[in-house]
Amino acid sequence: MDKKETIEKLKNIVKPYIKNQEAFENITEKTDFIADLQINSANLVDVILDIEEEFDIIIDNQSMERMLDIKSAMEIIEIKLSEK
Amino acid sequence: MIGNDIVDLALAEKESNWKRKGFMNKIFTQNEQLLISIAENPTIMVWNLWSRKEAAYKIHNRKTQIRGYFPLQLECFDLDCINEITFGKVVIKDFVYYTKTEIKSEFIHTIAVENTQHFDSISILDNRKNIRKKNGIPEYFENNILSKKPVSISHHGRFEQIITL
Repeated sequence: MDKKETIEKLKNIVKPYIKNQEAFENITEKTDFIADLQINSANLVDVILDIEEEFDIIIDNQSMERMLDIKSAMEIIEIKLSEK
Repeated sequence: MIGNDIVDLALAEKESNWKRKGFMNKIFTQNEQLLISIAENPTIMVWNLWSRKEAAYKIHNRKTQIRGYFPLQLECFDLDCINEITFGKVVIKDFVYYTKTEIKSEFIHTIAVENTQHFDSISILDNRKNIRKKNGIPEYFENNILSKKPVSISHHGRFEQIITL
């Protein structure tokens, strides 16, 4: 799976939870889930569960700790997919 | 240092499904899950515990400059209800934060402090005037920069609560 495909999938996952449409439309690897997209911190767990379902991976607690932006989410997805 | 968190219960009901598979295990420890399962109103207990963790995280973030998503590490202990206010503490590694939670029909609000004496010196601000953010952390400036005081802002749905020490 290439980066572009991963970021598109991530966009679809975060879409229901975002509160800042402009940041969502201009999403980059640097986009922060909470500071930029203004996702409620209680919904960040939904984002993580949705990622687990979509990519069929398990995100351990240590990985979850740094799941704060698109870049780290992409890195974690890549690592977990390669471990499969 | 202080931290606070408010949960709009109607919005939480609309936006979060805590009964979703996997949700509890990512957020609540075994002991906390037990508290939820035996609670008279499990949904209230979910947001009660969540607001404690969030309020404590805000102090922890301020103190250590560590930013992350680690709700399981912030564990709630010693819940004790006195005159409709619930007190307790949140522990993360070697740090202990004390919490005071108000549970109303429409919202749950938690204030977290490092020292229980601080509960008495907390005041509520009506607006964001004189509040500036430094590295994402709000501070209150009174007349000059030397008298800056810590501020915590929490906003969720219909409710906003700004506190200072």
